Amino acid sequence: MLKNYFKIAIAVLKRRKFFTFISLFGISFTLTILMVATAFIDKLLSPDYPDYKRDRSLYVATMEYKNTKQGWLNRSDASYYFFDHYVSTLKSIDKMAISSYATASNAYVNNKKLVIEYKYTNADFWNVLEYKFLEGKPFGKQEINNAEQVAVISEETKKAYFGDEKSVVGKYISADNISYRVIGVVANVSKTLYNLKGDMYIPLSLDKGNRPGNPELMGSYNAILLAKSKADVPKVLKEYNQMMKKVPIPKDFDKVYSNADPFFESMTRRIAGEGSTDGKGIVITMITGFTLLFLLLPTINLVNINITRILERSSEIGVRKAFGASSKTLVYQFIVENLILTLLGGIIGVFFSLLAIYLINSANLISNMRLTLNFTVLFYSFILCVFFGLISGVYPAWRMSKLNIVKALKAQ
Amino acid sequence: MIQLQSIEKVYRTDTVETLAINGINLDIAKGEFLSIMGPSGCGKSTLLNIMGLLDEPSKGLIKIDDQDISRFSDQQLARFRNEKLGFIFQSYHLINDLQVLDNVELPLLYRSSSAKERKALATAALEKVGLSNRLKHFPTQLSGGQRQRVAIARAIVGNPQIILADEPTGNLDSAMGNEIMDILLGLNKNEGTTIVMVTHDESMAHRTHRLVRLFDGSQVQ
Amino acid sequence: MFKHLFKLIWNKKKQNFLFLTEILVSFLVIFAVFSFLTFYFQNYSKPLGFEYKKVWAITYDNRMLTKNTDSASTFYENLHKSLKSMPKIEEVSYSSSNFPYSNSNMSTVVKQGDKKFDYVNNYDVGADYNKVWNISLLEGRWFLPEDKIGKNKKIIINETLKTLIFGKEKAVGKLVGDHENKEKMQVIGVVQDVKANGDFWPAGSAMFVQPDTAQIKYTSTILIKVSADADATFESELYKFMANTMKGSVEIKHLEEMRDSKNEVTIIPMVIFITIASFLIINVALGLFGVLWYNINKRKGEIGLRRAIGASANAVSYQLVMESMILATMSLIVGCFFAVQFPLLSVFNIPASVYIIAILLSILFIYLLVFACSLYPGKQAARIHPAIALHEE
Repeated sequence: MLKNYFKIAIAVLKRRKFFTFISLFGISFTLTILMVATAFIDKLLSPDYPDYKRDRSLYVATMEYKNTKQGWLNRSDASYYFFDHYVSTLKSIDKMAISSYATASNAYVNNKKLVIEYKYTNADFWNVLEYKFLEGKPFGKQEINNAEQVAVISEETKKAYFGDEKSVVGKYISADNISYRVIGVVANVSKTLYNLKGDMYIPLSLDKGNRPGNPELMGSYNAILLAKSKADVPKVLKEYNQMMKKVPIPKDFDKVYSNADPFFESMTRRIAGEGSTDGKGIVITMITGFTLLFLLLPTINLVNINITRILERSSEIGVRKAFGASSKTLVYQFIVENLILTLLGGIIGVFFSLLAIYLINSANLISNMRLTLNFTVLFYSFILCVFFGLISGVYPAWRMSKLNIVKALKAQ
Repeated sequence: MIQLQSIEKVYRTDTVETLAINGINLDIAKGEFLSIMGPSGCGKSTLLNIMGLLDEPSKGLIKIDDQDISRFSDQQLARFRNEKLGFIFQSYHLINDLQVLDNVELPLLYRSSSAKERKALATAALEKVGLSNRLKHFPTQLSGGQRQRVAIARAIVGNPQIILADEPTGNLDSAMGNEIMDILLGLNKNEGTTIVMVTHDESMAHRTHRLVRLFDGSQVQ
Repeated sequence: MFKHLFKLIWNKKKQNFLFLTEILVSFLVIFAVFSFLTFYFQNYSKPLGFEYKKVWAITYDNRMLTKNTDSASTFYENLHKSLKSMPKIEEVSYSSSNFPYSNSNMSTVVKQGDKKFDYVNNYDVGADYNKVWNISLLEGRWFLPEDKIGKNKKIIINETLKTLIFGKEKAVGKLVGDHENKEKMQVIGVVQDVKANGDFWPAGSAMFVQPDTAQIKYTSTILIKVSADADATFESELYKFMANTMKGSVEIKHLEEMRDSKNEVTIIPMVIFITIASFLIINVALGLFGVLWYNINKRKGEIGLRRAIGASANAVSYQLVMESMILATMSLIVGCFFAVQFPLLSVFNIPASVYIIAILLSILFIYLLVFACSLYPGKQAARIHPAIALHEE
């Protein structure tokens, strides 16, 4: 039966080439945009180099003081003291990666100016994250304790600073007028991992702003808490929240917030949330809203074209009904036709998406971000195709089933 | 009034050449009521189309009201049809999305007249066919006979000199058909309108002044 | 004729519902696009108000410097002298971190009588700030050293703020209140608006003040104007000098690059938005074309009839194009009803002229679109042979 529908569908599509062309154009283009957007979101949310342990990680990025009576808010990254003094006491954590947000400094090499963004990190940073070392190795506890002036640099920085040298371990790189000895070179990190990307990584004991004993909770650091297993994550979260209850509230404020979030929530909190709400609902609603709005025009268009196509075939439909086809059969036939059309449009869309992604990647719009059309993306795109095909096919199919046989036969 | 001289009409497709009308000569006087009869495919509708300037003959001359039509441009033909001709079709060809009054007004829209004039003329035409109480109805709300009467009102609203009717009673039962014939005969007698009617119905045809029979594109009687 | 066509369409409104909806939604999309474009264009065409080309911003970490007020004053005075004496540096000024094209925002509230003015950008400036940027004064004068003493704090405001507070009157010499309306500040000058947020955003209200001596130790930004031949070699020397002097991290940014980043943030999303909107519209155009073409085919009988009755071929195509335009008008009326809420409610505080221009442009666009899509089907309709059309049944 399905094979029959399929054959009829292809014949119908071939008959009215212009309508088919318009429909395919609209569908494939709409789906291309949706697929590229999906690829982008997937890139942002899926585990990506060097952060592969997302499913057992919690991310701590902010410290917030609130005065609920006056409505004042102070928000910033957390201080190293906070992580060292409070968070490290949590027993359910396996390891903790601490790093500062990237600070820009300038270096002048060969009469060229380079901007080098550097991050201070702890030793476990390299154990939690999986950086790929093209040369050398990371610094460890010993280098940190001795405040050695060593640095791990990115591949890009190596090329920009040292040019075509094969090996740079042991050489010196100067930033902020301080010299560091290079001990490792890592592969580039995409800018979409904004809290991990850096041109240079140095031990946090070199951060002169970290005055020992200063109990300030706000600073410029963030951390990734690694649980022992995926199942342990709720335990870590519970312990963290318990710990937060005991943190002293600073003068002039009445609440202190710091959240340990799973990856997605850490992003939504940043975009649309604050200490007390993670903003997940808002972000998801916004994205769904925009997608539906975007789909609105192509859908109306496709529905319009579909109705036109049906009405044009009204005598054919009248004949089928006269010879015994039930309304249900005809509706199924039409929906199948529409799905075939949408899936065909989807396949064309895949090709266009590959092209678009290739162009976006080579234009390097966001540094080092490489979009891919992996199976997750294809799967979601397939769902979108089906969804799109159904919503644009249901109303016309319903209209068609209502056609009166005699009127339909007379129409031609 | 209408003069057809040596009219020929050939239809050509990629493979076939059909001679629809084969050398017809016909003179129709002013005020005459002419019927054209013949079996299916004999060319009577084609002949009517040519008389109504809806189609061009492949060969031959047409004169209407002593004017040589063959040199008329599309604009001139349109104007001529608008002012001098009225059409009635077997399937009425009313516009279902317009009310009866608007349907009847249609020919007047292609002339310059005010809305008031149009309304007055259309109402008068509908009175003549006995439908004054159906002005605001839609065609789908009327019976076949009523629809054909609306079509007649539309055909006469502009006071044409000639009416061309293509099987006007073809879709109606005998009672309604007779009613329509009465109206047409009345028009012909009272207003002096020249009427050319194509029909299948012998009884209707015999009520008219003259009968012309066609067979295979040629006149036989 | 017009009334006739309108009657025809009104009676068929249910059938045309989808067509009307498509036009309506397209209009709203186009309205959004044109609103953005008009807004950006209006701002773009306003004068820049300052020169940024040879300006560099030196930002540094001041944590290692002295916190003693007097020592800080001396330190910064000496630094100013040293920088000014460098051959390739023409002007030097200290600044707060929210200078034009920076990503920092500091705003405050200004009051006068019972009126309140929000979002006034608050710039702390050094004595030569205006020379670094070449900002022009419209009224009054720039700061002098003696302005730091005196009963009322002396401020300079920009054109936008002056018009908001004082209308067409002169502002120099008048007093305004700070956010608590306790301290009175005296206006000593009015400067031309500076487009500090990039070329596409309005300048907003701004006020310039000189920092107290006590605040000098918190300075972390120095703005310099360099000569035309200042190159990377000079920059690296300057950098070394600053790094040694500040004993903390230093960054030197070129205002030209900062301006490009600011503009990019506006331009890139706009380009993406327009690309998507164009394809949506092409989609719609093709769809409309198909639907209109089908409608013509469906009405062959009616068209044949009209030709029989006396419509010329041109009259028929004219009719069909007019019908589409009337349908478009019906949608546009509804669309305008929604769109006109924007200027009426001053949504996003954007001037009404932006929205009105956008509405007019969108209406024009939609009419052109519908006209173009109905032209070919209209001509096809004109070619219908009445004899064939009338006898198809």
